[in-house]
Amino acid sequence: MSVAPVPSALPESSSDGFARLSRTRFLLSNEFGLILLIAAFALLFAVYTSGFLSVFNLFSLGRNAAVNIMIGLAMMTVIVTGGLNLAVGAIGVCAAMGCGWLLQILGLPWPVAILGGLALGAGLGAVNGWMVVRTGLHSFIITLATMSIFFGVMIFLTRAEAFRDFPEAMTAFGKMRLLTYLSPLLLLTFAVALALAWLYRFTVTGREMLAAGANPAAAELSGIRVGRAIILCHMLSGLLAGIAAMMLVTRNGAAIPSMAGQLGQDWLLPAFLGPVLGGTLLQGGKVSVLGTVLGAFLVTMLSSGLLMLQVGAFWVQTFLGLMLLVAVLLDKARRSWLARRNLA
Amino acid sequence: MTNLARLSRTDWFGPLLATILAVLLIQSLSANFLSAYNIQILLLAIAVNALVAYSQMIIIAIGQMNLSVGAIGGLAAISFAGAMEVWGLPAPLALTFALLIGLGCGALNGVLIRITGISAFVITLATLSIFKGINLGITEAQPFYGIPEGVKRFGGAVLVGPVPWLLVPTLLVTAILWFTLRRLPVGRFILAVGSNDHAAGLSGISVGRTVIIAHAISGLLAAIAGVLVVARLQIGQPSIGDDWLILSFAAPVIGGAILAGGHVSTTATFLGVVIVAIITQALVLFSIDPFLVQVVLGVLILAAVGLNKLRAGAATGGR
Repeated sequence: MSVAPVPSALPESSSDGFARLSRTRFLLSNEFGLILLIAAFALLFAVYTSGFLSVFNLFSLGRNAAVNIMIGLAMMTVIVTGGLNLAVGAIGVCAAMGCGWLLQILGLPWPVAILGGLALGAGLGAVNGWMVVRTGLHSFIITLATMSIFFGVMIFLTRAEAFRDFPEAMTAFGKMRLLTYLSPLLLLTFAVALALAWLYRFTVTGREMLAAGANPAAAELSGIRVGRAIILCHMLSGLLAGIAAMMLVTRNGAAIPSMAGQLGQDWLLPAFLGPVLGGTLLQGGKVSVLGTVLGAFLVTMLSSGLLMLQVGAFWVQTFLGLMLLVAVLLDKARRSWLARRNLA
Repeated sequence: MTNLARLSRTDWFGPLLATILAVLLIQSLSANFLSAYNIQILLLAIAVNALVAYSQMIIIAIGQMNLSVGAIGGLAAISFAGAMEVWGLPAPLALTFALLIGLGCGALNGVLIRITGISAFVITLATLSIFKGINLGITEAQPFYGIPEGVKRFGGAVLVGPVPWLLVPTLLVTAILWFTLRRLPVGRFILAVGSNDHAAGLSGISVGRTVIIAHAISGLLAAIAGVLVVARLQIGQPSIGDDWLILSFAAPVIGGAILAGGHVSTTATFLGVVIVAIITQALVLFSIDPFLVQVVLGVLILAAVGLNKLRAGAATGGR
């Protein structure tokens, strides 16, 4: 199992001094529950399916998990502010198509094209953030509108045609295997997750983002520029969505306008599953990078395992929806149990 | 002058003005716009889209959102078509079955939101994927083709001139919905819960029941829309409802609905649907790229929420 020890970014865990209490807390935490679930399901799939632990399956599992975790992190950075970003999929596809355009039409070298695509993603995210701050409207309606606009403009400009001429160097990265089963994409994802954990735990900018999400009025009064923090969060979300899309491009060897479904809607479920399973509060102000990584990993593993159990590809979506439902119910039960015992 | 000021404060006045201006403008640029054929196409689009918009509107009224509108519509549509093809049910029975499915799905949303207290966004995102998954699991993404002749005839029939029969259910629903929200206790309860659920609860309204009823109505309306699409397309497509999400928010918001709840208007939402249909049609008529429809919808949503905010600011003396 390739779950790296990413440090938890729970704000309260940094402030306790009692080892025993913090250990009890960890055992009761969402993250520990997720690790148990991952272990249990991995065992189940390993026993009941043939080939779940095969080198090929572990490799493709890691590759899919890398993308899903990145999508979850892209949503997480906005959930931190108490908002949503429905446009993650649309921004991702725009970034991928932008990269393809720079490569194929302008003939730029691939590192420049990738940077250009990522910059486009971050830029579109910044547009979202700027509009949310300037209008004071909820990010739900703003990103609902921009998801339609971004995707529509992208389809209009590309004539819905894919870019397929990607250089060897990029596609080779998507196919590369380290130690026979590990995809470098997964390592890239872990690096990004570590950077995010560091951002939220140790940097002023990260703490300001959390404060702006927890209580904007109080944050403003303590001298934090809330508007700037929110724009930064949306920018980060756009950037991460762009990275997720680039990973898909290196994997598929093509930038396809429909790679995230109609308007990028296919990314919405994985985007919310990771953070919500991982215990990131939708009201904002609290974040768990480790939880998001574990949550997204669990989802990827379950979809892959269910397919191998021959559940039928069409039913997997139903199971994922049911899982989101069960997860939020369990989390609610856990919280109220903790509240009764004064542990949280 | 005071009359005009009062008119400008109602929800339907702005959209109506925009509709008339749009019709005049497009007609002056293209004589084909008001041809009988074009009007029929417009009305067909309006018949389905209005129900989709109402389905979201009733949830906006209680201050929540329903992402699963399209998934419920799609599930009802394939239940309708599947019941007729596979079970050989007569059309009225299949219709009842499909509407019950829609009602049940909506009520399930409401019950889950109520008993868990989790935000409607997360619950309906989960049920969106559950309903869509059941749809794909049953159909395996293959359409049902065995639609009886009677249903097909209803889908293509015209009432008078360019007015299609499909518009009749929509107009009936519009009238019933308008009457419910204006005059019936349950409609007033829905709006009261939307503006302030705590106050509504204290004044003796059962908030939980109202939320569940609103979601059940939403599911029912989505199901009617799904069935109408089956009648129009003459096949039970599993992909029905996939592209309803943006539209379902656009029309109520253009009609001045406040997303925080408690304030919606049936007539203005209907006009919102008309505006969207006219603009979509104009893009086709002037052979502007159909891909741009999505962009226009997005811009319309942004413009409408911006205007609503300005209007709300003006009404409360500027905030």
